[in-house]
Amino acid sequence: MSSRTAVFLRHRASGQYVPATLIDGVSKGEVEGAEKIWRPFIQEAIKRMEVERRPRADRPQHAHWDWEKKHDAVADILAYQLFGVECEGEMQGLMLLKTAGKFSRIGSHKSQGIVYVSFVETAPWNSPLIVQEPRYSQVGTVLLATSISVSIDLGFKGRIGLHALPQAESWYATHCEMTDLGPDADCHGLRYFEMNPEQAASFLN
Amino acid sequence: MKILSEKKTMTLNLTESEMMVLDKLSEEKDMTKTAVLRQALRLYQLIEHRITHGEKLYFEDELSKEKKELVVL
Repeated sequence: MSSRTAVFLRHRASGQYVPATLIDGVSKGEVEGAEKIWRPFIQEAIKRMEVERRPRADRPQHAHWDWEKKHDAVADILAYQLFGVECEGEMQGLMLLKTAGKFSRIGSHKSQGIVYVSFVETAPWNSPLIVQEPRYSQVGTVLLATSISVSIDLGFKGRIGLHALPQAESWYATHCEMTDLGPDADCHGLRYFEMNPEQAASFLN
Repeated sequence: MKILSEKKTMTLNLTESEMMVLDKLSEEKDMTKTAVLRQALRLYQLIEHRITHGEKLYFEDELSKEKKELVVL
């Protein structure tokens, strides 16, 4: 089952907001289509960085992600939801949510359910880590707002949580104003971030 | 932004004790009864899926790290 909602992305070069589509239930074909374009684009960017002798820390830390595998692993399982944002015929971002069995780690909300953002990735041409002039902005914002909406729909009042790759930490801490609960030894030492209902409401506004 | 899938309505018949448990969970989790049951459905399907694919379900004691298998019938 798949549903589509109209959203807007910002075209950086023109500063204009352009219509896009949020897809709830991205199909295997749509994921394959994205992977076919995204992965070679990222590999090309990594080669360029190697030639330019850029530090290893500059290279995209999510380069190994395989959305086809992720899609296949969770297909038809209610506890996972795969979202995508499409614009001008191309996938601009993908996000996988886990919607059951995850609980808040914030003291006053402990044992309350959350939506866990398992993976979120913007198309490589939208990432300032990969290109000098990214094409669209707001992809991550649209996807994170979606995770909050799912959390509200499921009765979690907007609570969401995620582990951030080091290159994305500042975005979650500063742009999203999520609570940083520090490195998690059970998840490769990645920092764990959470948003409570008040932070979620503020983000949506 | 409206991203919610269309929902269908059903009548649910529960025993008094089942309703008591649902009421308690709803209060403890600060969720509606519908939200509790939607969450239960997600967990049940996820557990079924994993067990069908040859995995086992364990609970681990946070302090002692002792693991106990939960047998799902």
